[in-house]
Amino acid sequence: MANEKGSRSLWALGWKRLRKDHIGFVSLWMVAAFVLLALAGALGLVASGWRNEVAKPYAPPTLLKSLGPKHVQLTAENIDAANKASEQANGQPSTGTSLTADEDPLAGDLAEASKNEGQYQEAATQKAETLPMGADLRGRDVLQKVLKGTSTSMLVGLMGSLAAIVLGTIMGGFGGYFGQKIDDLLMWFYSVFTSVPDMLLLLAFSAVLRRGISTVILVMALTSWTGTFRLMRAEFLKHKSREYVKAADAIGASHLRRMFVHILPNVSYLLLVQFSILTVALIKYEVILSFLGFGVSVTQISWGSMLAEAPAELIQGYWWQMACVTLFMSILVTAFSMLTDSLRDALDPKVK
Amino acid sequence: MRKGQFALAALTAILISGNGFAADMNKVLHVAFNAPETGFDPAKISDQYSSSIVENIFDPLITYDYLARPVKLIPNTTEAMPTISKDGKVYTFHLKHGIYFADDPAFGGKKRELVAEDYAYSIKRLLDPTINSPYSFLVNGRFVGGDELVAKAGKNTLDYNAPLEGIKTLDKYTLQLTLKETNFNMTYILSMPVFGAVAREVIEANAANTMAHPVGTGPYLLKEWKPGTKMVLEANPNYRKDVFNFAPSKDAIDAGIIKAMKGKTLPCIGRVEVSIIEEEQPTWLAFLEKQLDISGIPQPALQEALVIDPKDPTKATLNPKYAKMGIQHQRYKLQEVTYTYFNMDDSVVGGDSKEKLALRRAIAMAFPRSETIAAIRRGQAVPVNYMIPEGVGGHNPNFKGAAEYDPAKANALLDKFGYKKGADGWRVQPNGKPLSIEYATGSAAIDKQWNEYWQKAFDSLKIHVTWKVGKWNELDKEARQSKLQMWGLAWGADYPDGDNFMMLLYGKNAGDVNYANFKNAEYDKLFESSLKLPDGPERNKLYDQMNKIVVAQQPWIFGDTRVRNTLAQPYVKGFKIHPIVNTTWRYIDLQK
Amino acid sequence: MFAYIIRRVLQMIPTIFGVMLLLFILFNWVGGDPSYILAGKSMNATTLANIRAQLGLDKSQFAQFLIFVKQVATLNFGISWSNQQPVSSILAARVGPSVTLTGFIMLVSTVLSISMASLVAYVRGSLTDRMVTLICTTAMSVSALVYIIAGQFWLAHKLGWFPVLGWGDSFAKNLVTYLPLPVLLGVIVSLAPDLRFYRSCFVEEMNHDYVRTARAKGLSEPKIMLKHVMRNALIPVVTSIMMSLPYLLVGALLLETFFAIPGMGREVIMAVDKSDFPVIKAITIYIAILTMIFNLLADIVYKLIDPRVQLK
Repeated sequence: MANEKGSRSLWALGWKRLRKDHIGFVSLWMVAAFVLLALAGALGLVASGWRNEVAKPYAPPTLLKSLGPKHVQLTAENIDAANKASEQANGQPSTGTSLTADEDPLAGDLAEASKNEGQYQEAATQKAETLPMGADLRGRDVLQKVLKGTSTSMLVGLMGSLAAIVLGTIMGGFGGYFGQKIDDLLMWFYSVFTSVPDMLLLLAFSAVLRRGISTVILVMALTSWTGTFRLMRAEFLKHKSREYVKAADAIGASHLRRMFVHILPNVSYLLLVQFSILTVALIKYEVILSFLGFGVSVTQISWGSMLAEAPAELIQGYWWQMACVTLFMSILVTAFSMLTDSLRDALDPKVK
Repeated sequence: MRKGQFALAALTAILISGNGFAADMNKVLHVAFNAPETGFDPAKISDQYSSSIVENIFDPLITYDYLARPVKLIPNTTEAMPTISKDGKVYTFHLKHGIYFADDPAFGGKKRELVAEDYAYSIKRLLDPTINSPYSFLVNGRFVGGDELVAKAGKNTLDYNAPLEGIKTLDKYTLQLTLKETNFNMTYILSMPVFGAVAREVIEANAANTMAHPVGTGPYLLKEWKPGTKMVLEANPNYRKDVFNFAPSKDAIDAGIIKAMKGKTLPCIGRVEVSIIEEEQPTWLAFLEKQLDISGIPQPALQEALVIDPKDPTKATLNPKYAKMGIQHQRYKLQEVTYTYFNMDDSVVGGDSKEKLALRRAIAMAFPRSETIAAIRRGQAVPVNYMIPEGVGGHNPNFKGAAEYDPAKANALLDKFGYKKGADGWRVQPNGKPLSIEYATGSAAIDKQWNEYWQKAFDSLKIHVTWKVGKWNELDKEARQSKLQMWGLAWGADYPDGDNFMMLLYGKNAGDVNYANFKNAEYDKLFESSLKLPDGPERNKLYDQMNKIVVAQQPWIFGDTRVRNTLAQPYVKGFKIHPIVNTTWRYIDLQK
Repeated sequence: MFAYIIRRVLQMIPTIFGVMLLLFILFNWVGGDPSYILAGKSMNATTLANIRAQLGLDKSQFAQFLIFVKQVATLNFGISWSNQQPVSSILAARVGPSVTLTGFIMLVSTVLSISMASLVAYVRGSLTDRMVTLICTTAMSVSALVYIIAGQFWLAHKLGWFPVLGWGDSFAKNLVTYLPLPVLLGVIVSLAPDLRFYRSCFVEEMNHDYVRTARAKGLSEPKIMLKHVMRNALIPVVTSIMMSLPYLLVGALLLETFFAIPGMGREVIMAVDKSDFPVIKAITIYIAILTMIFNLLADIVYKLIDPRVQLK
């Protein structure tokens, strides 16, 4: 079992190298902090109230109030008042509809229901004039949204790339390890998928599936497994003829055991690098998906769905939601990319 | 030599003034559509964008007065409005002489005059089973002998040469249409762009691709077409002499328009370039940078472009910053209703029983319509309270049909009918089965904004809602197969008469335009009687009764009617928007 | 070499078949029914049936697939279902703008990134190197969508340096007037990742033993860089460029959308939206063929750059 020790020591060495790399180490902590934030968001510990309308529509950021546009947003009360006025002018009834009690089959029931409606009356809440990071169209707190969005976007990125890696590794492993007919079939599959533009696959897959986080993850996995496949196929091809795999064969280890217990740990460092590259790519990919209308559903929030609101907001002068998301996203993505670089260096067996 | 040249120039000038060509080819109008067109065969199109081009290339018999409001029909290629028989069934049109088609190789180098036979041919094309006209519903079953001719054709081309009693020419310039039933909307219908005259030679010569070869008698011809991106129109040199000579309406801007345009030979603008810009930000910025001459204000830009009075949001004026630049601003209520329908055949939301009605009513009461008018429409919409919008014959401004927003009472109503809350806090059906409603929606950013408010409505009732996201044609298919539960739609007037709206809930239209599959015997009876009446108090009474049925049974949740805000650059002269005609390019001028 | 090319071309056939199968299944399953678009506001069963018959949708799935095979064999995809124009002429009108836009982005970005990458790799480990890497990484972290929205809003609208959008008929006009801003934004988006990638290619080459040998032999650094490192590092560079060429066609969707450029990306979205299957089929098949041809070309170029490469 020298190989396992070998791979373990590579990890240990990598960890030692990473700790010496200041940029890498700082990046690691930052990514870790984001992961914690994402977990807290997913568990509902942070920003669970992001859907509450706590402020006036497009309330500006507290400190940068003066940088917001001057126009006033209309409220439902304005509209109600205007409608009342026009009803009066037109001679429409001021309450209810033009139907008399005889004409409305529900008139009696409604009258009865109005006696019990008290329990459902909600006290009007005071809406804030400003918020730390401003508010969106519905007066939701942009900071809360971006925190919750961090959770979703990271979940999507991490799960999407994990799924793509698993898919790519299994297929690449089988292709590289077994070769021959299986490899031919998988290679055929691979070349078909790489020959079809991603965008078409994306549009097609999204059309069948329901909107939501799981769909986004699935679509991402289905369109981005090919890189890992190519990489793993080459590695398994290389490793299957190595001594330690032959030794495992000699002691009677099954094919699957040889593939996933013996070879896989030795190539896992490549997977880690691939995983972090993909995660970053998918976090950015989610933005484009959302813009094209294939993002998460209305009860969920992601960075992409926030940025999809940006074009309409910017022409009105509301820049804060875009700025806020861009800030969060660039911190995470920069840290993640830096970490990837450091990991690549730290885990590279060629560098002694 | 000199003299000769002069004489030639003078002769040319006479020739030009003779056929009335005065357009300045250096005047180029830039406009944009926000969705792609499909083509320019009048019989094959139904979208607004294609119609906007088609109405400039082809001439229907009748058209609208540019300035008159409420809208008024006027003769277009006819000498006068048609003579209509007493029973309202026989329409006779006398064409003007000397109207010519734009030149085309199919005419063999000769000038081709517009004759009555062209209109007969063009209308018959809408019946042709091989053309599958999207507007065939306007002509099917309408003309004497029409159905028989269509039946005879089966799946093949209509026999255009066979005599047809309902559509015939009395002489070279006289067209007579005979209807099976009295119909008071026929003149409106015939003014639609799809009833423009095509020339049979051109259609037959380009049979494989009629969409790309529009040749008509209208003010413009299609110079260039890049599908989905660009259309260029140029003034038609063969266009008849047409002089701006409209009487002012009550509108204040008319005086200025008449001053700028009176006596001018139309069209003034030589070239119209139409591009497709789907996104709102670029459209709006392009207008501000004068890359577009006329543009609607996209909804997100309304707050910035206008000063909207919070006390009366429907009274909005142009932001002084733009008014100072001389930008012209016009607004009018669209002749449309938006609504969300319930599928009345559905086992959860449909049905006549009181508990189902209570569920529909509760949802209607929980939808925060005023909030959507404030946030999405920016006040530029008014609530729908009657199935027929303002400006359309039969509208009743005194009627109030929309359920009042009252989520608390809606909850109490659901309690009363046994939609109890389960252990998880969400409501179940009275029979104890779980309650979840599926709402159909598109996938654009604007759809998502609306869904936010629907989500809010359902959340306030503690009813689960799920979204069925699909492309328009997919949802349309499922809707017509009665597979959807709820879907929000808009219906714009094809012609300004109430019948075009009241038909949306007529039982026999279920599976077609009656998406709600609403089948109410009383409504249907009233609708059938209303068809036999002209616009007037007698018909209005029937319409009121029908609206009451709709309010009581709640197959629809009434939405809003948008107010469209359109801007034009200072140098656009004579500009006025028309509620029915899509484009007014032929009536305007550019003076930079 | 010739035999190799023949063999590779033959290998394309099963791949194309696979692409056709995938496309056919996907879009017959999810593509939507175009007859509902063509039928318009009001329709009846007869009209729908007629339309379906005209489009060939009433034929069996197998017969429809055979038609597809014939279309691919002749590269004639018939007429569009949405506007009844020949697919070939629709695509022909779209290719020019797409290639102009993305071609320029790629050209500028590649030239800039290769020259910058070789410089940075040359001073690897220095403060400059680390700063450039950091700046690139940060620049990459901003979404392309943000660059485009913000760039159009501030650079074109607020500052007025560029027209907001547009596309003309003459190449010169496009080049001077309409292209600069979209190309600039496209380069901003693609420069950073390219630069980082090429830098790593160069650095990796420079760590090889032969570089040390060359240095030991006393060759000057610039000479080592140009003669040895560049040549070897060009292989991954060429691959990456070759592989991305087919995507020139659909790659700039966002830029096309915001700048109203009549490119292929918008056509794809429009075709999917309108269930215009002939257009979708044509674009996919052309791109698949291009992808394979460029893969082959990349392999041949390897051979030309480095004769030691064995073609298998």
